[in-house]
Amino acid sequence: MYTWIPINSSADLAALGKEISVEYDPESVIKKLNTGLSGAVKAILVERNYIDKDYRSTYYNFYAKKGQSYRTDCVRLHFFDETVTFDAKALKLGGHSEEQLKYHYFGYMVLRPTGIATIGRSVVSPDVRTGTSGFTISAHHKVHLLGYKFAVQGFPSMDQHIDIAVCAHVACWSILRHYSECYSIYREFLTHDITLMAQQFDPGGLVPSKGLEVSHAERVFQEAGTFPLHVVRTNQADVAFYRQFHAYVESGFPLFAAMHSQRHAIAVIGYEWKIPNNNPITQMRYAWEEVKAVTVVDDNQLPYLSIGVQGGTPYSAQDIDAFIVPLPEKVFYPADAVDRLAPTLFRLGALLGGLPGKDESIIRYFITTGSALRRFIRMRESEFDPKLIETIMSLPFAQFVWIVEIATLADWANGQVSARAVLDATASLREVLPFWLFHNRTQALIFDRSQVGAGINGIRSLGLTGMQGTALTRWDKNLRPTQRK
Amino acid sequence: MDEKMESKGVFDLIEGLKTVDPHALEDFKKAMTEDVIPEIVKIVEERKLLAAESRNWQLKC
Repeated sequence: MYTWIPINSSADLAALGKEISVEYDPESVIKKLNTGLSGAVKAILVERNYIDKDYRSTYYNFYAKKGQSYRTDCVRLHFFDETVTFDAKALKLGGHSEEQLKYHYFGYMVLRPTGIATIGRSVVSPDVRTGTSGFTISAHHKVHLLGYKFAVQGFPSMDQHIDIAVCAHVACWSILRHYSECYSIYREFLTHDITLMAQQFDPGGLVPSKGLEVSHAERVFQEAGTFPLHVVRTNQADVAFYRQFHAYVESGFPLFAAMHSQRHAIAVIGYEWKIPNNNPITQMRYAWEEVKAVTVVDDNQLPYLSIGVQGGTPYSAQDIDAFIVPLPEKVFYPADAVDRLAPTLFRLGALLGGLPGKDESIIRYFITTGSALRRFIRMRESEFDPKLIETIMSLPFAQFVWIVEIATLADWANGQVSARAVLDATASLREVLPFWLFHNRTQALIFDRSQVGAGINGIRSLGLTGMQGTALTRWDKNLRPTQRK
Repeated sequence: MDEKMESKGVFDLIEGLKTVDPHALEDFKKAMTEDVIPEIVKIVEERKLLAAESRNWQLKC
C-alpha cells in the first residue's frame, strides 16, 4: 500500500509510472512534477487506497452514475526532503522525531482515478515550487499519514474535473478550503458542494461543464457565509483597481480573479516585491508600483504560478479585469475610499510636526483587525513611546481597521515606515474623519469615535518621545515569506 | 474596572493629550469635502455599474 521513491534526479520521477496505474494518468503527473517541483524534494511516498473526501463527493454525485466504472479510491503522493527515510517493512518514517518531521515534509497531492485531469486536492509548500518567491497567503493543513500527524503550510489547489467543474468552481473551492482551515466560522465545502452552491437548482448533467458566470462565483461566496465584494476595472489605465487588488491580497484575503478575454478564473494568493533601488522618487507611489509579480493558483498548472505585472505567458496581471474578494461582514469602508484618502493624509502633516514630502513617499494600505494591530505593537514595544502603546491598547477599535503606511525610499529599502494611520474599516464613505489614529515618530493624532459628529472636539494630539532613533517596522506579517528550497 | 472607569472616554484614560487647533484641520476638511469624498462616491458608483455588467461574463477555461 505504501511505496517510497527516492528522487536523486528528475529521471527518478519516472518510477512513479510503474507504481501508479493508468487511470491516475501518471505520465501527465510526472511531466507536471518534473517542471514544477524543485530539487529539494528528494523522496515521494506513494499512499494507495486513499479515500479523498473531495473526490468522493464527485464520485457519489457524478462518476458513479456513468456507464464506465470508476474506482472509488485515490492515490496520495507525499513529498519529503533528503533527511527523511522510510522503513518499508515496519511502515515507519525515520530520520527525525514526529515533532521534527513536519519541518522536512513539503505536502501532498491526491491523484483521482478519472483518467484525465487527475490531480485532486493538493496542499504543497510554496517553498518547493520552482519559480515562486515573495509572500503567499497560507494556512496550516493537517495531514494524517501512517499514524503520524503533520501539518503543511500552503494553499489548496486541484485540477478542474472538466466535465463537472471548471476553473471558476476550482478557484472558489481553493479559496473556501483556505477559509475553512484558517477561520473557525467557515465550514468546509467539498467539490460537489461548490457545484450546487453556484446555482439556485441542482445543476446536474452537463450544466456545470458549460462554465460559470461571475455572478455564480459571487453566489458561491455568499452561500458560504462571506460578504463578497465584486470590483471591476474601469479601463486599461485604472491603476487604482490594481492598487486595491494588491491591498486585499496584502490583507490576507485571496481573490477570485476573472480574465474576461481568456474566459478564465484563478485565485490570487500572493505577490513578490521588486528589488529596492536607489532611483529617487519624483512623485508619490503606491505599493503596487513596487510589485514585481503576482502569485496565483490556476487549475491548469501546479499551484503558486508566478505571473508578471505586465506581459508574459500564459497571462499577466494586466489580463485580470475583475475580482471578487470574499470579505467578512464588518468591512464597510472600501479600498477605493482608502486609495483616494491616502494622498490627503499629507495635509495633516503640520499637526504631526512634519511628514515626508508627498512626492517622495510610497503609500501602502491593507486591512487587519484591531487585535492584530495590538499584537503587532506588543511584539515591537521597543519601537514605540509607552504612551502610544497605552493609546493603542485603549482605543475601542471596531473589529477591522485599515492601515495606511507612509514610507520614504530609504524607509522602503530598510523595511520601515515614517508614519502610520489607522482608519475605521466600518466608517461611512462620506465621513470626513474616518480615523482612529495617525502618528509618526514625534506626534500622534488620536480620534475619539464614541460620539458621532464630534469634529474637532473628538481629536487630541499626543507628543511622542524616544521614537526619533528607533526603527518603525513596516507591517509585512499578514502573508508568509517563501523560503525557496 | 469600576463603574467610574467604565464611564470614562478614551481621552480621559490617556495622560498628556492636547487639544488641536481647529484652523490646522481646515485644509484637510476642505480637501475631503470638496474633492476626495465626491471622488470616492463617484468611483464606487461607477464600479457598481460595471460590476452589474460583468456578472454575465462566462468563465470556463
